[in-house]
Amino acid sequence: MNVREKASGDTLIGKRIPKMDAPQKASGKTRYVHDINLPGQLHAKILRSAHAHAGIRSIDVSQARSLRGVHAVITAQDLPFQRPIGVAKDHLPLKRDRVRSLRDEIAAVAADTEEIAEAALKLIRVDYEPLPVVATAEDALRPGAPALHGEDLVCVNRNGTTEVVHRAAPGNVAMTFDYSQGDIARGETESDAIVEDVFWLHYVTHCCMGVSGVIAEFDSNGNLTLYSNSQVPFLHRREFGELLGMDPGRIRIIQPPIGGGFGSKLDIYPFEPIAIYLAQITQRPVKLVFTREEEFLASPTRQPVLLKMRSGCTKDGILTFRDVETVHDNGAYTSWGATTPFVMMQTISSLYRVPNCNYQTRAIYSNNPYAGSFRGYGNLQATFAVEAHMDRLAESIGMDPLDFRLKNAQDPGEVTPQGMNFRTCGFKDCLRIAAERSDYQRKHRDNVARWRDPDPIKRGVGMASMLHVGGGAKIYQSDGCGTILKLDDFAHVTLITGASEIGQGSETVLAQLVCEELGLPLSSVTVVNNDTDVTPWDVGVHASRTTFIAGNSAIGAARKAKDKILAAAAVKFDGKADEYDLKGGIVVDRRTGNGLIEIDKLIRSLHFSEKAELVMTTFYYEPPSQHQDKKFKGDVSAAYAWATQVVEVEVDTRTGIVRLLKVNAAHDVGRVINRLGIEGQIEGGIVMGQGYALTEDLIVDHAVVRNPNFRDYKLVTAPEIPEMDVSFIETMDGEGPQGAKGVGEAPAICVAAAVANAIYNATGVRITALPFTPERVYRALRGQAKPPVWDVGS
Amino acid sequence: MTRVERYLVPRTIAEAAGGLRDGNVTIFAGGTDLMPQSKSGKAKFGTCLMNIRRIGELRGIKRTASGFSIGALTTITDLRDSPEIKVGFPALWRASDHFASDQIRNAATIGGNLANASPAGDTLVPLLVFDARVVLVSRPNGALQTRTIPMTEFLVGPGKTSRRPDELLTAVEMDAPPPGFTSRFFKFGTRPALDISTISIGLGAVRDGEKLRNVRVAIGAAAPTPIRAPHVEEALEGKVVDGATIAAAVSAADCDIRPISDLRASEWYRHELVHNMLERMLSDVGHG
Repeated sequence: MNVREKASGDTLIGKRIPKMDAPQKASGKTRYVHDINLPGQLHAKILRSAHAHAGIRSIDVSQARSLRGVHAVITAQDLPFQRPIGVAKDHLPLKRDRVRSLRDEIAAVAADTEEIAEAALKLIRVDYEPLPVVATAEDALRPGAPALHGEDLVCVNRNGTTEVVHRAAPGNVAMTFDYSQGDIARGETESDAIVEDVFWLHYVTHCCMGVSGVIAEFDSNGNLTLYSNSQVPFLHRREFGELLGMDPGRIRIIQPPIGGGFGSKLDIYPFEPIAIYLAQITQRPVKLVFTREEEFLASPTRQPVLLKMRSGCTKDGILTFRDVETVHDNGAYTSWGATTPFVMMQTISSLYRVPNCNYQTRAIYSNNPYAGSFRGYGNLQATFAVEAHMDRLAESIGMDPLDFRLKNAQDPGEVTPQGMNFRTCGFKDCLRIAAERSDYQRKHRDNVARWRDPDPIKRGVGMASMLHVGGGAKIYQSDGCGTILKLDDFAHVTLITGASEIGQGSETVLAQLVCEELGLPLSSVTVVNNDTDVTPWDVGVHASRTTFIAGNSAIGAARKAKDKILAAAAVKFDGKADEYDLKGGIVVDRRTGNGLIEIDKLIRSLHFSEKAELVMTTFYYEPPSQHQDKKFKGDVSAAYAWATQVVEVEVDTRTGIVRLLKVNAAHDVGRVINRLGIEGQIEGGIVMGQGYALTEDLIVDHAVVRNPNFRDYKLVTAPEIPEMDVSFIETMDGEGPQGAKGVGEAPAICVAAAVANAIYNATGVRITALPFTPERVYRALRGQAKPPVWDVGS
Repeated sequence: MTRVERYLVPRTIAEAAGGLRDGNVTIFAGGTDLMPQSKSGKAKFGTCLMNIRRIGELRGIKRTASGFSIGALTTITDLRDSPEIKVGFPALWRASDHFASDQIRNAATIGGNLANASPAGDTLVPLLVFDARVVLVSRPNGALQTRTIPMTEFLVGPGKTSRRPDELLTAVEMDAPPPGFTSRFFKFGTRPALDISTISIGLGAVRDGEKLRNVRVAIGAAAPTPIRAPHVEEALEGKVVDGATIAAAVSAADCDIRPISDLRASEWYRHELVHNMLERMLSDVGHG
């Protein structure tokens, strides 16, 4: 169902509505954390390691401390009760006797100005004992490789006892995942065609326009206020409480407008506790803002993955098995990157029906930068491999790639062996519409016929699809979101939501959903969403969940308010509540459509009556999803999103440069709420996927980031952005707010996979390593490429 | 860390040249190379910082008896907006059009691009094609002295020029090319904007019937400095641009270039690009 824009005066749903924060941002009036300065504030800077791997014999901060304008210099020695951060709690904010990567924090300074803090860093003397560098996961797995976390991490509690907070990781194995369904051996015997490849998915980083920053301030009662761009303020409040040994209730997180998140702010990083420690010691507000170089060196990356995949099908084009093993280079510490297998295995086991499937991951410590969460969360990597094999299998049995996909694509109502229940599923519509609108099948055939053509410029089309959670993801005890809604005596709505705005446009969508219920114009809503002392709990911005979860929560609160208003109308007009409705700011008679009273007037009469009531409601929405069990089975999301993207490329065989000309995207979004917003999300996601496919490459060479700047780390620039044709498949999800599903991550996921298939379609050359920079492509075309190899045992 | 002790803002060439006598002066013009280089530690400030941006006589494109003189402070945007450059020196105009981004073109100066002497400097390749000369002014003992040297002598190595510390680069001069001279510039980068050349090629010649005369070829980012390619020129001079000539010219390039491997490309790939792009440019010339 490819629903076209419909003209309807009555509803806000599906309209093109500019983001509420757009005028402020476009006029330069938005105040980011960088623009906030508190009276008495100090500026902090961090000293990072000069070695990727070394012991620390001693640190001399005496000269730095005596520099004029310096208020505090701290090292691990000054923090006897330091506790580790991160997903595996293997990471002390300030390092004690060993550094494991070049980003490692050794000391920090708080001073009157940034310049003084910078000068003080230069006065700190660190005596290192260099250790052998573990430059890759392959190296880390070799017998005799240095164990990077070879000993238990022991911390001292505030009561004097000691505690092992992280167990030694022999063999550098940080984390493992093991999933299976069916019987691989049986699948192999049933196969008429089998393909196998090794893929390398490279390092990229978020490149948020706003660099990381935080301000920490303690009041005289010892309460902490943090100005932070956390994507998960409520979870972080609790984690900061544990780190500092303080009641999380006394920690307030205020989120100034963010200069980009994309998953990067899902974990706590050392700079945040460091700023807090400095504020505690100096009893002054402390501001710490990264430089752009620091942002490149010390913020998380997308998870790099070495992936081996073997897949089979019958000659009739039915998938028989898929066997996948990956090694994730974990970097020096464990953040969310290590957990991307949760998402990767969903794509591998359930994007297409595959009865027999194995999936294994080892996340391996190295001295490299560590990976965090990043829009798509492992799905770009998994989809890259799966969709390469869909094309290869189709070719090996002589079937059209679209037909092959349609034979194996999921249908509505399926429950996969992993336990995902696809109550709504527009996958086949996505495939058909993207193929039709791009003329995929004809172009695909014609391009192959031109492989031997003398023209050095080749054209190719490539297709890839994706499955991603679209109704939240039950990772924590709750995947819920709370709303407080108040209607004042002018019928102005204050929508207080736990859901953070990180540029995705949630404020606007939530306001729309509320106005739709209350029959009010958008101008009558103020959204409050940035202060943990005010807003009700929410698990955070991740897993494309905000429209779905916070949307349902906002609708719930608005419906309660509406019930209250209609009940008041029933009393006033001596009828039943269901005889009335709210439209255009007026209480109307449902049968006649006649206006009876302005909503604000009715609210005032309620307020200033003898009973004196206000219209204020609360709602907490918890989606009907399940935790996965230990075997990774369970219906983890309340809805699932689908998409197919067909890309068209031009490959110049004389230079290897690949131009992305056009993207036809078809997305099952449940329902379009804000058409302008969702177009922006999808276009932005496609460009992010384009960067991943073609230009972005964080070059990590011997544990050193070689290109920590925008000159050599190449984001896509405006002239490279392709023509885009986006179709929305509206499957009207039964649980979704007004039928909608989450879409935040989806558009970035397929691009690289589709481009790989398009390059093959153009040239007959399959490249299994990213990114497709000109030299890599040129080498592959000339048979000079070194394809990735699996030399990491099993 | 050196501290800047003095900041000079001369208004005339004479004043600036006087200020340079003391030595250890860092000259600031557009700042688009100096600022990032000083931040990364690649460039160190001298004890004196001289801002030459207010020397009005350094900016602008002037006709001379033999051709044109481009003042050192002429910005890349000025070049791109100049009809004289567009018509008379198309390879230089193309290089200024493909130079970085609008913001950088507005600030960056041709003098700075020359003094920075990057092997990948965008304007240097066409300037070599036009046999440009660099004008250096000093004031050793009160009187101004002018030294004019060819580009090939000015460029010494990566980031190195034959400018003496007491000299101010005031202009670059080009003779009007011979009648019928046409020129082209090609830059290969991984994206159309904001990129540093992986390699670049400048080509100029007079078409004499089917044959090429007065052939000049320059190549960027394929040697320690942008270079003239004499072997390629010799393979083309007086020849009809046919398949055999193109093949000979392309293989002659190997005698001229000495590329390195760095972040942007490997030595092998730079060789391949010079071959393929030279071949493409010459084929285009051959076809009209």
